[in-house]
Amino acid sequence: MYDLAIIGGGPGGYVAAERAGAAGLKVVLFERKSLGGVCLNEGCIPTKTLLYSAKVYNYAKTGDHYGVYVSDPAFKYDEIVARKNKVVKKLVGGVKAAMKAGKIEVVAENATIQGRDAEGIKVEAAGNVYAAKNLLICTGSEAAVPPFPGLKEAGDVIVTNREILALNERPEELVVIGGGVIGMEFAAFFSTLGTKVTVVEMLPKILGPLDDEISEMLQKQYEKRGVQFCLRCKVTGIEGNTVVYEDPEGKVCRVSGDKILVSVGRRANIKDFGLENIGVEFALNPAGRPCGIKVDGRMRTNIPGVYAAGDVTGFSMLAHTASREGEVAVNNILGKEDHMRYNAIPGVVYTNPEVAGAGLTEAEAKAKGIDFKVVKLPMAYSGRFVAENERGEGICKIIVGATHHEVLGVHMLGNPCSEIIHSACLAIEAEMTLEQLQQVVFPHPTVSEIIKETAFTI
Amino acid sequence: MAQVVIMPKQGQSVESCIVTEFKKKVGDKVSVGDILFSYETDKASFEEESKFEGTVLACFFNDNDEIPCLENVMVIGEPGESFEEFAPGGASSKSAAGAAVEDASSGTVSLRSTPPVAPQGSAPVPPLNVPRVAVVPGGTSPTAASPRAKRLAAEKGINTSLIAGSGPGGRVIERDVIAAAASPLSGLAKAMMAEGGLQAPAAGSGIGGMVRGSDLCQASAEAETASAEFTFEKMSNMRKLIAKSMYNSLQNSAQLTHMLGADARKIQALRKKAKKALEEGRIDANVTINDFVCYAVIKALQKFPKVNSHCLGDSMRIFQTVNLGCAVDTERGLMVPCIKHAETLSITELSKALKQVADDCRKGSINPDLLSSEAASFTVSNLGGFGVEWFTPVINLPQSGILGVGTIVPRPKDLGSGVYAFVPYLGLSLTYDHRALDGGEATRFLKQVATEIENLEIDF
Repeated sequence: MYDLAIIGGGPGGYVAAERAGAAGLKVVLFERKSLGGVCLNEGCIPTKTLLYSAKVYNYAKTGDHYGVYVSDPAFKYDEIVARKNKVVKKLVGGVKAAMKAGKIEVVAENATIQGRDAEGIKVEAAGNVYAAKNLLICTGSEAAVPPFPGLKEAGDVIVTNREILALNERPEELVVIGGGVIGMEFAAFFSTLGTKVTVVEMLPKILGPLDDEISEMLQKQYEKRGVQFCLRCKVTGIEGNTVVYEDPEGKVCRVSGDKILVSVGRRANIKDFGLENIGVEFALNPAGRPCGIKVDGRMRTNIPGVYAAGDVTGFSMLAHTASREGEVAVNNILGKEDHMRYNAIPGVVYTNPEVAGAGLTEAEAKAKGIDFKVVKLPMAYSGRFVAENERGEGICKIIVGATHHEVLGVHMLGNPCSEIIHSACLAIEAEMTLEQLQQVVFPHPTVSEIIKETAFTI
Repeated sequence: MAQVVIMPKQGQSVESCIVTEFKKKVGDKVSVGDILFSYETDKASFEEESKFEGTVLACFFNDNDEIPCLENVMVIGEPGESFEEFAPGGASSKSAAGAAVEDASSGTVSLRSTPPVAPQGSAPVPPLNVPRVAVVPGGTSPTAASPRAKRLAAEKGINTSLIAGSGPGGRVIERDVIAAAASPLSGLAKAMMAEGGLQAPAAGSGIGGMVRGSDLCQASAEAETASAEFTFEKMSNMRKLIAKSMYNSLQNSAQLTHMLGADARKIQALRKKAKKALEEGRIDANVTINDFVCYAVIKALQKFPKVNSHCLGDSMRIFQTVNLGCAVDTERGLMVPCIKHAETLSITELSKALKQVADDCRKGSINPDLLSSEAASFTVSNLGGFGVEWFTPVINLPQSGILGVGTIVPRPKDLGSGVYAFVPYLGLSLTYDHRALDGGEATRFLKQVATEIENLEIDF
């Protein structure tokens, strides 16, 4: 009898397993593919590795901005991919080691929930049945691929985040359907390496719910580098290697590429592992279809002892959200009441320059009817930013409550904002006021000082 | 010589009382018999009459303060007499406990008691900027904490010696422990609290229980905007206690109610006889229907000791005597005084005892020990006087049962040989704790109560 069975070894599942193991629970973890989940194998880590190669290549190409000359900078795509694979392998090994250290039993098989009886919740894998007191479902998500007419016929021209990472050669032309975070990171990567990239986006802006002003600034920077953006454009079909779309005026347009990346969103994995056998309730999308497992603030499903964490809940599909949700679930299993808070979840886009944000955007604050103020400064107010970002531009903006100046959101564009956004998370979690934030000492000279500088503009 | 007024000890189990209102202020002249202050225990409220004549020289507490029993509360004497030696906490903390100040305008001596110096007539507002936990300054005894504070601190695992007390002489009182147990406030919560009108819960929804702005709630009823649709009324301590014990009862027991009618012809006849006996001076008590029912219940309880019990979770406390609780509706709320050894009383003695405890409750002079739910072994609640036929009374835990007595209504009855007649029936509603009793046992007991009522023989 296990204390906890976890289905899915991504950042929700393996972090939960680690925490539960450390607390002395007997844990079994089912992962049918590779530990680390999408994040480690097909998402966060491989893309960051690729993007870093692109960044180094870009430094070499633009060294002259800093008085450094590199003759004929070049890259070998297969070596970039090989390095990516090495990094992934190393980190997956790290997760394996952590599971071993935590005495977590890892079952590398498909798991199926059979139901529950007096002996507990039963999970079957490779013919063996495992009984557990608690079950944590972390089956994640996969790329949503809409049934565009002609999509099937297009064959391997169509790629998602999974296939594009496995390419052995760089496409000369790439069409990206969906200008969200995933689409923009691949657009950034391939355009830096010289691929002609076209982004077709249905919405009037890229990067989905991220700050409008920052999205627009980033788009302009990439337009300058040759990326073409087709906003408010609706894809109507695929013809071989050509994407057919309607522009905002309803005109039918076409754009071709060696590869077509479909990155329009992700879909929770809620099928084919026996969820129906225990009667777990689903969250429904506006169309009334199941779009994730319904959970409460403590990550409990409607079935006692059954929890869910990560993308499978169908919202806030981010690795770090999943990990924290897994921790919340484990704490509640351990009898330590813990609640999930989503108001300070950071979001980061590893384009060059990077985008990072936490908390409410102006648009969200407006939609919520919150009385707020915005303070902002160009990144150039940070000495280190100027020193290291020749011809670069960026911005830091802080959304605060109008009366008490509590920090509601922080949004930044400019390197390396991904590494400093956690300060904003702390301020939002602690509901710090700008006046309190002003009293914090930030190290000089760092880009992080921009947060303090911005706080003083209230 | 100045005389000191102490907080009376109301019953063995009472360790402290809360002053609801000081009726006399420093400088007021008082005569013997004047009400000095009203106060309440967990269960009842009282008024303290002056036993002395003179002027109030000092008052060491504010309204709503919780004061340990036997603690000095006020000093009465002649103006100019010294009273500082009476300050709670003793001479060592005299300066903290209270300082006499010369009131230039009136020329009288008034006393300022330390923590929050509330101007007369204004509601005491908890000080905001006082650190919630502070090290007690040297010289004050670290054990100076009220019994309530100590109990709460023990529950929450808080060391009272690390709390700065806001009671007289730096004494740690309950609210200090509550404040110390509370989680830190977020920046926003602090800013919002500074504007007043809000209070923080003991634990919030932020990191590690940090109190966030959204966790704050209205500090008091008064702080909420008045509306044409409703008014706010603060719950009295007694109301809060009733609320707590009723909620606790329904949350923590397995209670259900059986209802049965009893032929009331016999007790109606007895009631007539008793009335006549009273008129003719043969008895000295007005024996009511309820008294007869209680009398019958006592008899039935003696035959069913398991019903006459407390359910303690993993054991039962089965009573040899009948300590009968009787629900009394008072202005201050529901009170359930108890008559000990009720099985030893005659019907007239029982009638008088029931009347006495009910009157004591209404006057506020009831011995609090008799109000404890542990004191009674079974309770009777009568709503018949209001015309209620049946109801589901709530058990006074840890008791195993409570009998609700309804009104008498005529119901058809088969008198035999095909003859039906309307007969007066008394509604009996027995709520019992299924943890303590099974339905069969409960039903047999209820049937026994009906049988006793139907066969009661008393000579007047």
